[in-house]
Amino acid sequence: MDDYFSSEEEEEYCSDRDALDGLENDDPDYDWVPPKGPSTKVITKESLLCAQRGDLRRVMELLSLREHHARTLLIHHRWDVEKLLAVLVERGKACLFANAGVPLTEDQDLSLPRHSTSTVMCDICMEDIPGQITTRMDCSHCYCNDCWTEHFVVKINEGQSKRIKCMAHKCNAICDEAIVRDLVRRRHPDLANKFDRFLLESYIEDNKMVKWCPSTPHCGNAIRIEEDECCEVECSCGLQFCFSCLSEPHSPCSCLMWELWSKKCRDESETVNWITVHTKPCPKCHKPVEKNGGCNLVSCICGQAFCWLCGGATGRDHTWSNIAGHSCGRYKEDQEQKSERAKRDLYRYMHYHNRYKAHLDSFKLENKLRETIQEKVSVSEEKESALRDFTWVTNGLYRLFRSRRVLLYSYPFAFYMFGEELFTDEMTDEQREIKQHLFEDQQQQLEANVERLSKFLEEPFDEYDEKKVMDVRMHVINLSVVTDTLCRKMYECIETDLLGCLALGTHNIAPYKSKGIERAAALNAKADESDKYLPLDFGKAGASELDRPSGSGSLDDSGRPTKRARTEGLVGALIDLNVPAGGY
Amino acid sequence: MASKRIQKELQDLQRDPPTSCSAGPVGEDLFHWQATIMGPPDSPYAGGVFFITIHFPPDYPFKPPKVNFQTKVYHPNINSNGSICLDILKEQWSPALTISKVLLSICSLLTDPNPDDPLVPEIAHIYKHQRSRYEETARAWTQKYAMG
Repeated sequence: MDDYFSSEEEEEYCSDRDALDGLENDDPDYDWVPPKGPSTKVITKESLLCAQRGDLRRVMELLSLREHHARTLLIHHRWDVEKLLAVLVERGKACLFANAGVPLTEDQDLSLPRHSTSTVMCDICMEDIPGQITTRMDCSHCYCNDCWTEHFVVKINEGQSKRIKCMAHKCNAICDEAIVRDLVRRRHPDLANKFDRFLLESYIEDNKMVKWCPSTPHCGNAIRIEEDECCEVECSCGLQFCFSCLSEPHSPCSCLMWELWSKKCRDESETVNWITVHTKPCPKCHKPVEKNGGCNLVSCICGQAFCWLCGGATGRDHTWSNIAGHSCGRYKEDQEQKSERAKRDLYRYMHYHNRYKAHLDSFKLENKLRETIQEKVSVSEEKESALRDFTWVTNGLYRLFRSRRVLLYSYPFAFYMFGEELFTDEMTDEQREIKQHLFEDQQQQLEANVERLSKFLEEPFDEYDEKKVMDVRMHVINLSVVTDTLCRKMYECIETDLLGCLALGTHNIAPYKSKGIERAAALNAKADESDKYLPLDFGKAGASELDRPSGSGSLDDSGRPTKRARTEGLVGALIDLNVPAGGY
Repeated sequence: MASKRIQKELQDLQRDPPTSCSAGPVGEDLFHWQATIMGPPDSPYAGGVFFITIHFPPDYPFKPPKVNFQTKVYHPNINSNGSICLDILKEQWSPALTISKVLLSICSLLTDPNPDDPLVPEIAHIYKHQRSRYEETARAWTQKYAMG
């Protein structure tokens, strides 16, 4: 196991940037694949229509359809264009259309008049109606406008806007949205708007690639991801969340682990557990009594004496091993084992929770560091010094936050990974022990280096002379690289050696993002198509550039983070570094 | 709208009554009907007369009528409350359907139960595996509850 940083090696720190780059390039694993632009997009109320345009247009062009038919197909297939095309290829156009309720004979319909000229008997109200106030749907069924309207109103109110079928018995066709809108608007403009909204929002509600931002109060945005994989995202409102479960980002915990952990912490079920293990209720006043030593005759503060072994009330006359007139020596194995087990589980939980809590506290404290650091940077920048670039400070700080967060969530991860709750049957005790050691080694290394990074960032470098500042800078830059590498290694271990070995592949985690959670980019019509493969030249960038703050999607022409992005990151993204909502 | 259409249906039923059923309002209330169905001759319900209540919702025919058996029936798709498990009374309802068509559907349900979508699983089980026992019981119930 590589030890990237131990106290003996401190002096061997790389002393300049070239060496740093060397370190970075040593390992072929870290070669930078040219990254895509932000792969997540923010969909606002305004850009919702534009967001679905791409998918709609694709289907319209491929199948030469009108927009509302394309929408019907897409709604039916939950906006999964690939799946829709797969059905088309495998089962044919007729089947695809029939299942979704789109009439096949579209062109033929256009030749038929929408309204007939003579009088028509409407099968719904059973009246003879002049042809011009009847409407023929694409499926060729014709009824009077009043009946259509009433039908639409009932369906919209039933919440079925997205799939309003024709009124004819056994007709599967979905009604033309333009006709629905038009007829409903004449009598119920509000409802027509509601219909429009339902239809539009289907793109979010029925689409596994798009989800509402879970912010409260709701920011009104939704986030779209490009690849269907576990990931963590940041909305333009600043909220970061796990795209799969919508709770705070919790990688390397899986969603299930995080759900169990937060529940465990919230319930304080362990407190109850502790009381069960360490106290017994007084037989008189029923207060829980903790034994603080001594023999098995216990007195409650209410004055009642009772036997600690069985909890029964007794007199006070006793010896070390005997209570007068009382015997409860019969061994109750079940109870004993249960209490032993509860005790063990509790200590185990306490171990992980204490560390989790410690990192959480550090995380909160370090958040305050942000302001003091900003001040120190300002002071330093004023000074007449050769050293003018202080990006290493903020970069180091961001690195600290990100690594701290990985550490923080690595504890609940370990609690479940090596506990009995989830994976009892997945590995033998021996395997478990080996894996646990492997993981804990990495965790400890990361922990040590995160603490060192934290320590150096807290140094009053604004009061130091140039040489000393350079020294701090070197340490911070070095430690940034080291913690980044260690985080990456830990993720590798988790993904391949731990979770990767499980038979049940239900525990997916969001991959490690060296640059932190990416802020979703605003979606606009042009950018939507073109910026997917925005070429970014990361190959030559040094460590400090790689460490640019999360949430700053933009680089200027030289490939360096823009000033705007940096400051925005400082005031914006950092405030929202999420602290577990439970506040535990 | 609803009452006009119900009136029309009533007129149609009176003008051209279906062979094995009849239906009409119970009293003054046009939205509350009673119907009778003659047990289909080729079924264990033959000879029985089954009473059915019909409640029309205010937005009829855009929502389905509520139809219940009043007479006890031994049938996989009709439970002891008289509720009927029939697709056209639920998600397959279409405003183009009428009470006359609903009653005819119930008749054919009596002849051909649908044991794969049962409301009373026990009866469905017997229907599937011990047909003669099912027929016997259905006949006995018809005798007991639907005759005289």
